[in-house]
Amino acid sequence: MTTDTGSTVRGPGRKAPRARKDSSQRQEQLQRPPAEVRYAQELAALRSGDGDHRPPGWELSLRAARRFIIGDEDAGISRKFVGNPSLVDRALVTLATNRGLMLVGEPGTAKSLLSELIAAAVSGVSTLTVQGGAATTEDQIKYGWNYALLVSEGPSPRSLVPAPMLRGMAEGRLVRFEEITRCPLEVQDSLLSLLSERVVAIPELSGPDGMVFAQQGFNVIATANTRDRGVNEMSAALKRRFNFETVFPIPDADTELALVEAEVVTLLERSGVTAPPDRDVLEVLVGTFRELRAGTADSGSATDRTSAVMSTAEAVAVAHAVGVRGWFLRGEPGSAADVVACLAGTAAKDSPEDLARLRRHLEQQAGRHRGPHWKALYDARHLLAD
Amino acid sequence: MTAPAPSVVFLGVRHHSPACARLVARTIDELRPAYVLVEGPADMNDRLDELLLGHELPVAVFSHYRDAERTATSWTPLCDYSPEWVALTHGRACGAEVRFIDLPAWHPAFAERTNRYADAEARYEEATRRLSRKFSVDSVDALWDRLFEVEDDAGLAERLDTYFRLVRGDTRAGGGDRDREAYMAAWVRAAMARAGSRPVLVVTGGFHQPALRALADDEQHRDRTAADGTATGGTATGGGSGKGPAGRETAGKGSTGNGSAGGSEWPDVPVPAEEALAGSFLVPYSFRQLDAFAGYQSGMPSPGYYQQVWEEGPKSAAHTLLRAVAERLRARSYPVSTADLIAARTLTEGLGALRGHPVPARIDVLDGLAGALIKDDLDQPLPWTRRGTIGEGTHPAVVEMVSVCGGDRAGRLHPATPAPPLVHDVAAQLARWKLDSDSTATLDLSSPADLDRSRVLHRLRVLGIPGRVRVLGPEHGADPVFTERWEPRPAPGRDAALVEAGAHGAGLAEAAATVLTDRMRSADGHAQTLAGALFDAVLCGVTELTEPLLELLAGRVRAVREPGPLGEVLGTALGLWRHDRVYGVARSALLASVVDGAVTRILWLLEGSRGPSGVDFARLGAVVAVRDALLHAAPLLSVPRTVAAAVAHRIAQDREAPVDLRGAAFGLHRVLAALPDEDEAESRGDADTGKGAETAAEEGPSPQDGAAAVQAAAGIATLGDWLAGLFAVAREDVTTGASEGRSETSLIDVLDVMVDEMSEPDFLVALPALRQAFGFFPPRERERIAQRLLERRGVRGSARSLLRTGAHPALIARARSLEETVTRLLDHHGLRAAR
Repeated sequence: MTTDTGSTVRGPGRKAPRARKDSSQRQEQLQRPPAEVRYAQELAALRSGDGDHRPPGWELSLRAARRFIIGDEDAGISRKFVGNPSLVDRALVTLATNRGLMLVGEPGTAKSLLSELIAAAVSGVSTLTVQGGAATTEDQIKYGWNYALLVSEGPSPRSLVPAPMLRGMAEGRLVRFEEITRCPLEVQDSLLSLLSERVVAIPELSGPDGMVFAQQGFNVIATANTRDRGVNEMSAALKRRFNFETVFPIPDADTELALVEAEVVTLLERSGVTAPPDRDVLEVLVGTFRELRAGTADSGSATDRTSAVMSTAEAVAVAHAVGVRGWFLRGEPGSAADVVACLAGTAAKDSPEDLARLRRHLEQQAGRHRGPHWKALYDARHLLAD
Repeated sequence: MTAPAPSVVFLGVRHHSPACARLVARTIDELRPAYVLVEGPADMNDRLDELLLGHELPVAVFSHYRDAERTATSWTPLCDYSPEWVALTHGRACGAEVRFIDLPAWHPAFAERTNRYADAEARYEEATRRLSRKFSVDSVDALWDRLFEVEDDAGLAERLDTYFRLVRGDTRAGGGDRDREAYMAAWVRAAMARAGSRPVLVVTGGFHQPALRALADDEQHRDRTAADGTATGGTATGGGSGKGPAGRETAGKGSTGNGSAGGSEWPDVPVPAEEALAGSFLVPYSFRQLDAFAGYQSGMPSPGYYQQVWEEGPKSAAHTLLRAVAERLRARSYPVSTADLIAARTLTEGLGALRGHPVPARIDVLDGLAGALIKDDLDQPLPWTRRGTIGEGTHPAVVEMVSVCGGDRAGRLHPATPAPPLVHDVAAQLARWKLDSDSTATLDLSSPADLDRSRVLHRLRVLGIPGRVRVLGPEHGADPVFTERWEPRPAPGRDAALVEAGAHGAGLAEAAATVLTDRMRSADGHAQTLAGALFDAVLCGVTELTEPLLELLAGRVRAVREPGPLGEVLGTALGLWRHDRVYGVARSALLASVVDGAVTRILWLLEGSRGPSGVDFARLGAVVAVRDALLHAAPLLSVPRTVAAAVAHRIAQDREAPVDLRGAAFGLHRVLAALPDEDEAESRGDADTGKGAETAAEEGPSPQDGAAAVQAAAGIATLGDWLAGLFAVAREDVTTGASEGRSETSLIDVLDVMVDEMSEPDFLVALPALRQAFGFFPPRERERIAQRLLERRGVRGSARSLLRTGAHPALIARARSLEETVTRLLDHHGLRAAR
C-alpha cells in the first residue's frame, strides 16, 4: 500500500465501501445501516449547500458537520444527538487539530453514536472501526498479512492486509477506536507513534511502500467507558495525544422522558403491544433511573449510585419490558408495579449489592415523592425479587 | 399651542454587560440627553452624590426593611461595567440630570428577590431555551456572549431590541414586575414633560424596555388624540416621539403614588409605613458575591473576566484569561505543558471560528482550556454549559478555571461614605451592655442579662469583628460550662470590618443570621461545619429562622455522608431541643428541623453501611441518637416509628451489614417494638401495604427471637461486636429481662450457654470483644447480670465478688497457665489419676 492510494481498497471483507457502493439496493436488508447510509440524503444536502471552508481532507465544513449532528429544523436536518451543543463544537474542533478525540463517559451515553455521526459527517465513512477488547492485537489496528500470498510471493503490498488505522491514514479519514481502554496497555500504546509522527512503518516492505504517511483528514476518535476500566490506566504519553470529552447522560429530564417515550412506542409496536405506554409510569421510571444514576434523590439528599449502568438505553429496555408485561399478562399498559418487577433485572443485574441499594431506594426514597404513580411504586416495593 | 416633542430613547440593557455599558456611554455622547433615567432605587435619588464620592467598585446599595409582618434585605450591586453605573457617572459628566426610577428595594414588588439586578432571563426560561436551541448554544450566557459581547458594536442597539422583544414575547409580567413598570413609566412621562424638546434617555433592564415603551406610547397616543396632533414617527431606537402637549397626561395608573396630574412633577417615592424600619446605604461588594457560579440569585457569571472585557476589550480579555488560568494551574502544580497551551489556544480559536465569534468569547477560552488540559473523565458537567452554581465533585482544574474567571476584586467605599446602620447598632449595643470598655468580661450564662451580653459578643465574633476573644466557655451543645470569659485583644481594622459586615444586615442579630445562613449553605456534606454553624446559631441566639433557611438546613443535613458525625449533631440538637434552659432554644424550630432531617438521613446511611468487622462507636452513637429521637421527639419526625422499625429489622437481617450495626439495629427494633404504639391507627394504613413494615409491626421480637438472632447473626469471632451493638442501643432491655427473672429464655441465658460451649481457644478469641461489649453496662447492671448467672447455676453467693477479682488479672492468668502446664505434665507422665 502506498501513500497515494486514496481510493484503492484492498483486503477482503471490508464492509464500508461495499455498503456505500450498493447501498441503494441493499439498504432494506440491513438491520442497522451505518450512519452515512441512514442519513445519506441529509449528508448530500449539507454537502451541496456547504459554503464554508472545509478543513483539508474533510467532506463537510465544521459548521455543516455540526448541523448534521445537532440538527437544523429549518433545513430539514434531524437532531441526532441531544447532549450539549458545545460538546459537539469541541469534538469537531479537536478533530480538525492534530490531537485525537477521546470520548469518555458512562456506558449508554451515546458515545459510540456520537463518534459514528462525527465520522460519517467528517469522512463520509463511519465503518473504519477498531473494536477494542481484551483480545485486540496490533494486527487488527495497523495491518496483517494474507498468509497464502505471503508464503507464495513474500511480503508485498498485495499480500498486506491493511487494518482500519492504516486505511484511515492512507485514505485521510477518521478512524473510530471503540472501547480503547479495554485493550491491553501495550496495544493501546501502539497508537503513540501513529498519532504523533502520523506515519506507520512497515518494515517488511522496502522502498516507498515501507512507510505509510497519514493523509490530511486522518484522525482518531476513541471511546472509553468509565465503568470497565477507566482512563486512569492509560499511559500519560497516550493521554497527551488526545483531548478528552466527557459525555454525560441527558441533562434534561423532559428531553430524556421524551426520548424514552419515543423509543418505547416503536419497540412496543414491534413487539405487538398495541397499548401505548402510560406517560406517568414512564415518568416514574425515568425519574427513578435518574435518581439512581445521579446518586441524588429528588429531595436533594445524596444517595447511592448503583454500580450497574442506569443509562437511557437501559430505561428504554425496562420500559419496553414493563409494557410487554402489562399487555401480555393483563392486557393493559404497564403499571408502576411492573416497573418494580422489571427493575431488579436491569438495575441490579446479578449484583446483590445493587439489589440492596435498589431496595433501600424504594423503601426510603420512593415514598417521599408525591403523586399516585410514585405511591404505587412505593406500595409495590415488596415485588422486588430477592 | 404645542411644544416640540421630546425624543425618548429607551435602552434595554442586560445588567452587568460591558457591551451594554459601552452602548449607554455612546448613546449619552450622541444624544446629550437632558435626563438620564436609570433602573435603580428611587429612594437613593437624594443621595446620588454619595454614590459618586469615588469608591472602588464593586459596591452595592444595600436596602433593608422590617415591619411586623416581614423582613427583607436586598442588594443593588454596581460594578465598573454596569450599564446603570455608566449611565449614572457618564450622564452626570455630560451634564444630564440623572434619576433612579424604580421602586425602592423594600417595596413588596421585590418580595422574592434579594438582588435587584438578578437576571430576569431566569423568569423567561422557555423563551431563552428556544433561542439557545435555535442558535445551538448551551445556555443563555453563551447566547448572550455570542450575540452581543464579542460582536461588533455596530447595530448593537437594534440587536438588543430584537432580542428582548423575542425573549419577552407576549408574556405578561408578574405582579411585581407590572407594578415596577407602571412606576417607571410614570417617571418617564414626568421626564418627558420636563424635558421639553430635549432628549430623554431611559436605561432599564431589557425586559422592562418593551413594556415601558408600550406604556409610554400609550400615554403619548392618548396625548396626541387629545391634542389632535400629528405623529411624526419614532427614531430607530426611541420608542417613538409624538407631538402633543406633554403636560396633559391623565393621572398615572401605577399602583404606587406616581406623577401628579401636572405631569412634570416627579412621581412620589413610596415611603415605608410609620412603624417599619427601612433604609438604604452603600456597602462594599465583591466579585465573589457577584459571581453566579459561587453565589445565588445574582445570575451573572465570571465578573473578573467581564471586568477585563470592559477595560481592554474581549480579545485582550481572552488572552488574559488563558494566561491567568495557565499560571494559576501551574501554581497549583497541575501539569500544563507548552504543548497543552498551544492546543488550548488552537481549540479556542477554532471554536470561536466555528461558532461565528469574531473574537474568542469566554466559553471559547474555557472550552479550549478544558478540552486541552483535562485528561480525566469528569464527574460533573463543565459549569459553563449550564446556569447555576458549581456542583460537588467538579474537576479541580475546572474549579480553578471558574475561579480565575470570577476574579477576586473587592470593592472599597470612600472614607467619607456614611457608615451603614450596623456600625451604629453595634456601638449602641456595646454601650447598652457596658461592653465598650477594654476590660475582661466574665459572663454567667444562666443570668439573662449576661446571656444577652454573650449573644452580642458571639454575634460580633461570627461577623469576624476583632476586639474580644472568648477564652473560656461551652465548646458544644452538651458542654456543661455556664461561664464565659471574654478578653480584649488589639483590634486593628475593626472599623473597616464593621463597615464590611454592614453588607450583611442593618442590625447585629440580622447580620449574624445572614452570615450563619451562608455558613450553613456552604457546609456541603460536612457534619462538623454544620454542627459548628448550628451551635454558633444557638450561641448567637439566632434561632428564629425563616422557612427557606430551615429547608436549606434540612437539605444540608441530607448531604452528609457519614452516620457517625451526623449522629453527634443529632444527639446535640436533640439534647438542646429537649432540655435546654440556658440558651432558651428548647423546642426551637431550627433544632426540630435538624432532628428530623438527621434521623431520616441516618436511617438512610445506616441501611447502606458496609465495612469490616469491629466496633464503630461513632456509628453506634448515631443509632443511639436515632433511638432517642424516636423515643422522645417522635412528633418532630417525618419518619413514622413503624418505618424506622422496618429499617432496623432489615439491617438486623442483612448479612452484608457490619456485625456491630446488626446488633444495634436488632436492639433498636426491640426497643421500638416494645413501645406502646400511640400512632398505631395512623401507621397501620402505611404499613398494611408493605411487607417490611408489617413484619416489623406484628412480630415484636421476643427474647427467643433474640436468642435466635444471636445465634444466627454472630459466630464466635463476631459475637462480641454484635453484642456491643446491641448493648449500646438496648442494654436496659437486656438487663430488665435478666433481673425480672422471666421464665422464658432470656438473652443472658442464651449467651451463657454459648460461652459455656466455647472451647478454650475460641473463648480467648472472643474475650476482648466480649469485654468491650459488656463495658457498656455500668457496674450495678453488671452485678445484676452476675446475679442472674449465679441463679441459673443454682449457686448462692455474692454477685459482687464475681465482678471483683482479688488479684491482678495477669497474676490469675499466670496461675492458670501454670496449672495447665502441671496438668499437661501429669498427663504426659501417665499420672492422670493424680489430677
